Amino acid sequence: MASGVGVSPECLEAFQDLKLGHKFKYIIYNLKSDNTEIIVQKKGDVSSSYDDFLADLPEDDIRWAVYDFEFEKDGGKRNKLVFVSWAPDNAKIKKKMVAASSRDALRRALVGIAVEIQGTDYSEVAHESVYDKASRGN
Amino acid sequence: MVTYGGDEVSALVLDIGTSTTRAGYAGDDTPKAIIPTCYGYKSATPSDGDVQMEDTPATEGESATEKSKPKVSMYIGNNGPSIWREDMEIAEPVSGSIIEDFAPIPSIISHAFRDIMRCDITEHPVLVTEAAWNTPANRERMAEIMFEEFQVPAFYIANTGVLNAFAAGKGSALVIDIGASTASVTPVVDGFVLRKGLAHSALPKLVHAHAQHLLTTQTATRPGIQLLPHQLIANKQAVDPGTPPRFTLREERVAGTTESYRKYYEAKEVDEWIQSVAGVLEQGWNDQLANQRGARHYEFPTGYNYYFGSERYSVGELFYTHSPSLVNSNPNLPKSIPTLISTSLAACDPDLRQVLMGNVVLTGGGSLFPGFLERLSTELSRHFTHVKIHAPGNPTERRYGGWLGGSILASLGTFHQLWISREEWLEHGKAIVGQRCK
Repeated sequence: MASGVGVSPECLEAFQDLKLGHKFKYIIYNLKSDNTEIIVQKKGDVSSSYDDFLADLPEDDIRWAVYDFEFEKDGGKRNKLVFVSWAPDNAKIKKKMVAASSRDALRRALVGIAVEIQGTDYSEVAHESVYDKASRGN
Repeated sequence: MVTYGGDEVSALVLDIGTSTTRAGYAGDDTPKAIIPTCYGYKSATPSDGDVQMEDTPATEGESATEKSKPKVSMYIGNNGPSIWREDMEIAEPVSGSIIEDFAPIPSIISHAFRDIMRCDITEHPVLVTEAAWNTPANRERMAEIMFEEFQVPAFYIANTGVLNAFAAGKGSALVIDIGASTASVTPVVDGFVLRKGLAHSALPKLVHAHAQHLLTTQTATRPGIQLLPHQLIANKQAVDPGTPPRFTLREERVAGTTESYRKYYEAKEVDEWIQSVAGVLEQGWNDQLANQRGARHYEFPTGYNYYFGSERYSVGELFYTHSPSLVNSNPNLPKSIPTLISTSLAACDPDLRQVLMGNVVLTGGGSLFPGFLERLSTELSRHFTHVKIHAPGNPTERRYGGWLGGSILASLGTFHQLWISREEWLEHGKAIVGQRCK
């Protein structure tokens, strides 16, 4: 079941720039105010830290994000693209509903995501939990 | 295709449950009409012995059941089964969250939309909710009723499990729904129900039956309690707790009271008792703890009143544990909540289990049972490391979670492209329901 909310072309352009061009560290997506389309809200600078990224996830509103997650495993540096659906418990129920039912449209448009995180509080998107998921497998 | 920019779809949302039917406008936060799904009826010729009609087996031959039920008067809505009428029988069209008897459904829908909400159904798209284990034949029948009998311009049928997960902001979740007749555990992954992991049982009915047994059976300290509805009582006098009640029956009504009416009301009295005093211990069963909790006072319509002690907790305990003697005496016992959850998880991919346990959504009116949420979290954290239960604090959100999710979804302008329109129905027929509403 889906909401029929669309994905704006800039979402994909930004994603390609991140994936292939490594121009950004992360991208924050949001719903357009009239709930018809998903748009890019912020492109995180390459030099930004994980905490900067977390600061862009509001306490009471929904977001989606792609983060270029870098970590070390077996002595080597790895990169994985992490997709985060952010829907904190105290977001408005309408927002949560729209977010959950529209998520699939965005997720399917983004090719090359290795890890998916569904976050409702900051502990679920903390660096350790993401690292746990990313470092599992290869 | 026409795209709607705004949210002015003015769709209607309909959620038919075992106990109540909820109907209202999409975009609202509570249903406008909440009426009992049960209805009263008097048969055309009550003397010809054809009074066993509520026992019509739930067969798939819908047209056959329709013909076998010649009802002259039906009493629907808030003034339906709740009012005493001579020779009125009461029937339940929905059992286990599935519509078993479609004959009265159009009347119930019409009552909710036309009589209560005073709106013209032919002008509004209608979103209907269904249980995850609903049959394809059933949902097609629902579409047929909507398009053919009510002439709706558009229709959609959505799964309550998915709606509840979405309303919690989750694409993937383990939805635990405690209804009036069914407890279900539905794994939802990326917006779709994982059918193999679906588990449900008639657990609330077992709890109810146990409570009824408990109340009507004599104990060392009190006699068995008579479950009479206030409709059959002329007057009563105040008596001390635990002493026999002093009341007079409305004798003129007793003879005209049918068996199904009596049963419906006994169940109602038990329900009220459960909702008022029953609970479940947060940390698991413990005789001492149950006794330490204060006794609660409850008065029945007969005037009989009593302080109920630890027995009120034994009722709720049935949600979580079944004693070996009970299991042995009844091989078809409904599965308890922990069993339902483990059955469901066992059928899911191991990688998914962690995601599901981190996103448990508790919903349904039955989950408002005192101590239920705390007990669930105790039970789950015993077996899993990272458990997070999402349970709306607002009782309306919990009771009408499915309806509310449908209300938001149907109010979206962008959702318009997903409705099954009247034209599509006329062109493709029943097949479109299964294709569109996945």
